[in-house]
Amino acid sequence: MATTTDRVGALIEGIKRNRRVIVSPEGVPLEVQAAGHSERLAALLLDLLIMFGVIVGLYLFLLVLLFSRLNFSIGLTLILFIVFVVRNFYFMHFELAWQGRTPGKKICGLRVINRHGGELSPSAVIARNLTREVEIFMPLSMLVSLGGDASGWLILSLLGWLTALTSLPLWGRDHLRVGDLIGGTQVIAMPRRALLDDLAAAPPQEAAEREYVFAPGQLAIYGAFELQVLEEFLRRPPTKMTQQLLAGVCLKISRKIGWEEPVPPAKVRRFLTDFYAAERADLERGQLFGRHKADQGAAAAGRRDRSRGGKTGKK
Amino acid sequence: MNAAGIRAASPNQAARPGRPAAGSAGGEPGGAGRGLTLRSAVFRKGREQGWRRLDDMIRRVEKSGLSALSADEAQELPLLYLAAMSSLSVARNIALDRNLLLYLENLSLRAYLAVYGPRVNLLAALYDFFRRGFPRAVRGLGRHLAIVGAAFLSGGAAGYLLVSSNMEYFSLLTPESLAGPRGPASTAEELRAVLFAPWPGFIDTFVVFANSLFRHNAVIGIFSFGLGFALGLPTILLMIYNGLIIGAFIALHADKGLAVDFIGWLSIHGATEITAILLCGAAGLAVAEKVMFPDRFSRLESLARHGRQAAGVVAGAVVLFFIAGFLEGGFRQLINNTPARFAFALATGAAWLYYFLVVGKAGPHGDDD
Repeated sequence: MATTTDRVGALIEGIKRNRRVIVSPEGVPLEVQAAGHSERLAALLLDLLIMFGVIVGLYLFLLVLLFSRLNFSIGLTLILFIVFVVRNFYFMHFELAWQGRTPGKKICGLRVINRHGGELSPSAVIARNLTREVEIFMPLSMLVSLGGDASGWLILSLLGWLTALTSLPLWGRDHLRVGDLIGGTQVIAMPRRALLDDLAAAPPQEAAEREYVFAPGQLAIYGAFELQVLEEFLRRPPTKMTQQLLAGVCLKISRKIGWEEPVPPAKVRRFLTDFYAAERADLERGQLFGRHKADQGAAAAGRRDRSRGGKTGKK
Repeated sequence: MNAAGIRAASPNQAARPGRPAAGSAGGEPGGAGRGLTLRSAVFRKGREQGWRRLDDMIRRVEKSGLSALSADEAQELPLLYLAAMSSLSVARNIALDRNLLLYLENLSLRAYLAVYGPRVNLLAALYDFFRRGFPRAVRGLGRHLAIVGAAFLSGGAAGYLLVSSNMEYFSLLTPESLAGPRGPASTAEELRAVLFAPWPGFIDTFVVFANSLFRHNAVIGIFSFGLGFALGLPTILLMIYNGLIIGAFIALHADKGLAVDFIGWLSIHGATEITAILLCGAAGLAVAEKVMFPDRFSRLESLARHGRQAAGVVAGAVVLFFIAGFLEGGFRQLINNTPARFAFALATGAAWLYYFLVVGKAGPHGDDD
């Protein structure tokens, strides 16, 4: 279940991603990860950089096109108009044409989705980007033009208001900014994952033989959570550190399950892989009969949705 | 039955030193299978081909859009997508291979986004929007339009009354950038000179002036929408303030007997611009309403439902601002007498009324969000 993947990830990688479930039109719940603050900031800065490049390029192009027949005020107007058009259509265009990604988001592996599942509609994209004017460009231009003849209190209250609006993504669980609220969208992180070999599949050169055989009583101790942590350890690149880690894990497991024969260091990986395969087969069969064992503390089919309930319950 | 089929012991296994030390008596039931059969492994073997194929297609779609797929592949995509979704549902129930589960979650999500991603480009979306979505959304805002209209009018009345009672209020109410040389001290001749100023030429009016007006007004309009998020109060204030300024100007000109000429001068673009300002305000108010009084949905959901429509109205209003800037910058001084100006203003006003009341009424009543 998804709960266990969540817990394993939190344990192994030490990071807690905010997760959320959207339901596809086919009725399959899909888990998405809210994009982190730093990722979004990086994507925004990249986009601003690209926009800046585009604006300068367009302006230079027009300048060359019209040679030097431009006087200062026309040039200024042109550049202001270009800035306005580019900054308002840049995000809209890319989020529509590139399926919810601007160049910055694409580089950072982010994506805009419909928060409620279903299609990301053009009106949602327009809505979430119009408010950008108030959220991002107004503060930016304020910062530039600050220090006019406005009174200190006015500036202070305006700044407070802007900070509140701009810092909204820092508060919520889903990191929504105002545009996301209005458009019904959310920005998610989407790292690509590769399908690795099945650890339980016997290595071909050893002719599908298991060296170690475990008794049902020995397999009944652990649950899915421990199994998947073990999987993560076994998938680590085989360095010296991994070796030490595996040796420690092996010692712990054999003590726990009452395996008295010491496992020679060269056989540690073998032992653990065999144990993993046997344990997984055991648990998967149990699951087939309706006994889901989340972790070693849980009774079978007990608290399966523990960590998930609180998150999806609010609907 | 717990151990049936999981064991992979070779016949000589029993003689090895690594035999289970505890509970070994129960370790042998079910006979000695040679290979370890895991449900999830068998499941994976049968479907992996399809996943990898889908993965490859999605990767190309992510890189260069749906056009990266051949016609056959495009037909295959939804099938593979559905297969992956069902694989995911099954895997969640039978498999404990973490990598497999994460991969399937990831693949399904990516496929889902590729299949249900936006299919229209900006131009097609814009066309449909102006043909149907925009006027429909405006018709949905009648109540809010009435409120902002009232706020605007009351602001105008207040501005007029204040300034006609004491001309000194004029410079208090209107920002210097708008008033320019005009003020209580201006003579009728000076005011008339502004109203009927000669046309300064094509570049200056259509490019420079129209542009700056457009940007200025559009930003104000977008603000009054964006500020609607703050419970609508700033939006209403902004509407009243806009009314105040216009009322103050009318009072100033009325004092010199130029009220009709001023209204003509204003209405040539005002019919468009004030419409746009009111639309932005109404949209902001709609957002505020959904924040304060969500209907049967949760606050956020209600906001998302109506916010999109409201934002659409603002996007449309920006186009109105563009037209208004064009009229104000270019045509206002080109048409240099009051009756012609009124005729022009009436024509544009009627055009907008027709657009918002009639256009897009026929045709499919689809969900326009």
